[in-house]
Amino acid sequence: MADQNTLRVLDPTVTLSIATERMAERPGSLAGKRIGLLSNDKLNSEALLDAIYDVLADRFDVKASHRINKGDASRPADPDFLSDFSNEVDVALLANGD
Amino acid sequence: MTTPHLSSNSIDVRDAFEAIETYFDRGWSDGLPIVPPTFEAVAAALEAANLAPDAILGVEPTKGAVITAEKAAINAVMAGCRPEYMPVVAAAVEAITADEFNLHAITVSTMGAAILLVVNGPIAKTLEINSGVSAFGPGHRANATIGRAIRLIVMNVLGTRSDDGLDKATLGHPGKFSWCVAENEASLPWEPLHVTRGHDISESTVTVFAGLSGLQFGEHVANTPEGILDAFAQRLYAIGPGSHEVVLVICPEHAEHFAHAGWNKGQVGRYLYEITRKPASEWANAGMPVGARQESGAESGSGGEELVSALRTPESAVPIVIGGAGGAWSSVIPMWGLGAKTKAVTRAIKAVR
Repeated sequence: MADQNTLRVLDPTVTLSIATERMAERPGSLAGKRIGLLSNDKLNSEALLDAIYDVLADRFDVKASHRINKGDASRPADPDFLSDFSNEVDVALLANGD
Repeated sequence: MTTPHLSSNSIDVRDAFEAIETYFDRGWSDGLPIVPPTFEAVAAALEAANLAPDAILGVEPTKGAVITAEKAAINAVMAGCRPEYMPVVAAAVEAITADEFNLHAITVSTMGAAILLVVNGPIAKTLEINSGVSAFGPGHRANATIGRAIRLIVMNVLGTRSDDGLDKATLGHPGKFSWCVAENEASLPWEPLHVTRGHDISESTVTVFAGLSGLQFGEHVANTPEGILDAFAQRLYAIGPGSHEVVLVICPEHAEHFAHAGWNKGQVGRYLYEITRKPASEWANAGMPVGARQESGAESGSGGEELVSALRTPESAVPIVIGGAGGAWSSVIPMWGLGAKTKAVTRAIKAVR
């Protein structure tokens, strides 16, 4: 209990599980890697991803690109959709645009 | 009163002033001083709503973040709520966490929507929630603190803050501090909002909208529904084509003309839907967001001559009567993303005693 000279007040926050997520391990090289391009469906996001892929393909010996669009910028991608995607690529780039 | 078991971490401070500064330092405030959430104050809020501390009021779907009654009550006390406001806060949390409201998107987006709470039914009078003079303005504790409680919950429980958190609004607007109002049911020319949305007139409810800043306008000459709605139409043009939902804030003076003419809400929507139709090419040339034009069909590639309305359907217009008796000032409140991916949600406020 707080003594007479103190006021005990309560923490209004919670720790979100999202805050404890870790970044995926970075690949040592892009050589031979399948590059996944995940658009959030916003205007220009696919153009941005394509432009980045062109740079990567020009500089590194990447194997292939696989581009998908999650179809709704305002909501998370379906877990099954992401699971299928992750099985088909070695490296993923995400982009949004406006 | 039974003593609830509260599981939140606690902090010991010397006095209220130190509590206020501590909450600023920890990033737990909205920029204004808070009321220190003591155990006793939080317990009183929970008791007033007959809620157990671990009762789950809602789960924000995108992050899976759980909003318990205890955390909601702590933030309500911080906002300055009286204990008897807690049932409204609890119902509002239920409403904002409904999947169709899309809470995560509307609170993190660059578009900067706020959460507008509209209270209907007898509780508005009991709690003195202002629906009249300066209804969106300051000076009324229930309006100011219930709206603020919801914002503090979004900031503190969901982590949606603009300093180092998830809120990325380009501009935001003052409604993000607090935005709670009651419908002016004494001035209604038709049934109240909650009845239109399927509730009994004797119920008390809260309806939440993902509102952008309102467009206020004066129409002091027209004294017919058509004339007043023509003025509304000019503001709908500014929002863009194809709103799925848009709030029409109708002041009592304007509402009186609808009453004299015997109009209902359906007529309002149908009239606005028709008169705001214009060729797609005109919308496309008016600087509207490309996404909005595509969504509405205004960029269908058919030459641009097909007529596109400011409203997706006649039912897209949501008339609500709010404001003081004097003055012919009404307003239009656009929804986040034209209401395409967020929907207003109404929840009953549970009577406690």
